[in-house]
Amino acid sequence: MSDARRAKETDAGAREPEIETARPTAARRRRRARIVRLVAPLAILGPGLIAANASNDAGGVAAYASVGARYGYDLLWVIVLITVSLIVVQEMAGRMGVVTGKGFAEVVREHYGVRWTTVVMFSILITNLAIGISEFVGIGAASELLHVPREVTVPLAAILVWTILVRGSYRWAERIFIAMTIPFFAYPIAAVLAHPHWGTVGHAIVKPQLHTSPRYIYLVVAIVGATVMPFMQLYLQSAVAERGVRVEELRRQRLDIVGGVIFANLIAGFIIISTAAALFTHGITNVGSTADVARALEPFAGRFAKELFAVGLLGASLLAAAILPVTTAYVISESFGMEKGVGRHFREAPVFTTTITVLIGTGAIVALIPGLPVITLLVAVQGLNGVFAPITLFFLWRLSRDRELMGEWRSGRLLSAVAGATVIVMTILSLVLLAAMAINPGGL
Amino acid sequence: MRYLHLSLIVPCTLRDRGGERLGRALDLIVRLNGDDFPPLSGALAELAERPVFVPASEIELIGPEGMVLRSTRLDLDRFHRNEQEILLRKDVLDRQLINVDGARLVRANEIELALVDNSYRVVGIDVSARAFLRRLLPKRFAHRIESRAVLDWRHLEPFTGHVPTLRLRTPHPKLARLHPAQLADLVEDASGREAEEIISAVHSDLGREADLFQQLDSHHRRQFAETRSDHELGRIVARMGADNAAGFVRELPEKRREAVLASLPDAERESVEGLLGYGAASAGGLMRTDLVTVGEGTRVTDALEAVRSSGAPSEVATWVYLLDGEERLEAAIPLADLLRMAPQLPLVQTVSFTPPAVGTDTGIEELARLMTDFNLTLVPVLDEEKHLLGAVSADDVLESVLPRGWRRRVHVFTAD
Repeated sequence: MSDARRAKETDAGAREPEIETARPTAARRRRRARIVRLVAPLAILGPGLIAANASNDAGGVAAYASVGARYGYDLLWVIVLITVSLIVVQEMAGRMGVVTGKGFAEVVREHYGVRWTTVVMFSILITNLAIGISEFVGIGAASELLHVPREVTVPLAAILVWTILVRGSYRWAERIFIAMTIPFFAYPIAAVLAHPHWGTVGHAIVKPQLHTSPRYIYLVVAIVGATVMPFMQLYLQSAVAERGVRVEELRRQRLDIVGGVIFANLIAGFIIISTAAALFTHGITNVGSTADVARALEPFAGRFAKELFAVGLLGASLLAAAILPVTTAYVISESFGMEKGVGRHFREAPVFTTTITVLIGTGAIVALIPGLPVITLLVAVQGLNGVFAPITLFFLWRLSRDRELMGEWRSGRLLSAVAGATVIVMTILSLVLLAAMAINPGGL
Repeated sequence: MRYLHLSLIVPCTLRDRGGERLGRALDLIVRLNGDDFPPLSGALAELAERPVFVPASEIELIGPEGMVLRSTRLDLDRFHRNEQEILLRKDVLDRQLINVDGARLVRANEIELALVDNSYRVVGIDVSARAFLRRLLPKRFAHRIESRAVLDWRHLEPFTGHVPTLRLRTPHPKLARLHPAQLADLVEDASGREAEEIISAVHSDLGREADLFQQLDSHHRRQFAETRSDHELGRIVARMGADNAAGFVRELPEKRREAVLASLPDAERESVEGLLGYGAASAGGLMRTDLVTVGEGTRVTDALEAVRSSGAPSEVATWVYLLDGEERLEAAIPLADLLRMAPQLPLVQTVSFTPPAVGTDTGIEELARLMTDFNLTLVPVLDEEKHLLGAVSADDVLESVLPRGWRRRVHVFTAD
């Protein structure tokens, strides 16, 4: 029985700071309250910021860098569009978490029954297994840049992440991992120091440069897949629901979500710009290893570029490697109607522990296979995600419009249109990619 | 008992007596009228793209072949939701219910009906993987999967907050069987609206609501405090023991403390304010003040009468404290000792050993040590002049020293 009966007196002193919610009478206090409301989400590391940052993981960095090296600035317009799409779908997931207080799979189950739930669950399971592998590949690659063999770091990282999740110390780990992604701030600086041709950059942002090669479509699918990863929406919805964010706090939650996406995608854009300036313009169009990606940081970090990049990559990959198994475990528990949460003993949370163990174990074991073509594998995983993501997004789109479920907070026309367009475009892109691969398997 | 599985009944073809196809039966409707097993009141069907209500009296047969009507009449009313009625497929299937037997939340993978007392009734739900599998398979194969573990409806309470006509039917009578600690576990496991529903089910009983609040983890307690007005909180706090009330008020944001305290009755407020002056993890912050005390010259029988007439909870009434003329602690006598003594004996003469007392700033560890060494469940707390202020009970100390990992399950995103 007594789950958390303790907590009562002892932790009263060490609680989270209270956030301004009352309505003070004096105008001055009102103004102060408004400032607190605006700044608070940045200070508390909301789930929106964390989810968005997880998209700049190993796979994301690999996809952005491949794009920058291969096509220069030509794909920057995709980043702009995808930022809008991601804001819309993240907002939908967050809003659904606030309004229903339930996780995504739970809502799908209650509205579409077991068959659709099973379809969604399997699509999530497959992509998350693949993304899980890519996170550990990223961890291995980062450690090799620091001259530590991945045979050492990958098992260590797997044990670390597993222990953190199963022992329930997730929340402080989250903060450490996100702090480790700070080195990615180096990309904007490196991009500026590389003196890109800003006119060309601006032009590329507003005017899509289209190519017809399968490689181009593949990379478009990959960066879309690297940016819009369903596990981010699932994480966001579950985290928001479980933290019990109330509808009165929806505005603040939105700020966290929108801010997080813009922040993360700015970094993504600068990764493309800096790789384009450092590699593409010098005729290096094929990114074959993480060391190549790190070279984009050289204008800023000089000979420490590799080390700087490695820490950032390690942080982002660890963050995603921690979020991913938890999110998957939530989806499976919610789908089957089992209790959520981690326990001290296996029998107290068997589904949770099993899911987490399988995901981390698979990721770590595959990442240890000798001679893995790292970048190819990472980009391929993002492509796979791009193919499966529309399934989850479709249900997110429909459910957020459901009057019965969302009431007055259902999506408006504009939001729905953007989300619908995202689903349709992603589906078409995936189909075109599959067709291109069927016709000419060697064309990538 | 022969079960009819809801997922194999609806949706199905609706036929008249002559076997002619009329339309489709989409859902079954039952009445939550307080019966052990809610009876079928009808079906929701679609006839010529119009949702209609088919009363149970019109249904001749429900079976794997579909639903057959008793007559050939077609004057069926347009469907609308009635009070007390619930759609099985839409409102219950795939959703969570409270299993009162064991105080767990369960999700209905299947709903089982049967003929009881000449009418179709809901007799239980199936939460097993078999039932889940049955619904994945095409109907042809699904028939072969039997139900093995069916939860009895008499122990189940469905959530009804999402059903428009049942939104106000909150009593959930079966929840009365649960201990506040079990209700708190359910609230912690449930999602937003459903958690609210459980809490509002005890709303009419302030004492129970106060107990439930105390039992919640700090995250949920904070959350529900936020959704209640100062006045409502005051009413709840007034029903808690002073020690718990102080702990609860301490958790509130600074600016709400005043308002909540102000809404308390005077006596209650004074004792809570007194406790708020002490550190949260010290004897002063943990102590309870509802003790059984007697004055000088009391006999054993008077002390027993004092226990009988006091409102102190049973875990506190296990000790009787003897005070001198100036409210100083003279002796502490266990209830069991009193029961064994001659009734007319003066209390002072019975004392052979007085267990140790502590000051208000004694820490948790020292309290735990004393309790272990002297086999105590209650340790009196004194001020410098030996006046009795209160006593710390073992359950509060246990709660504070319980290792973090001993909790049954931790919710990943809210674990502090």
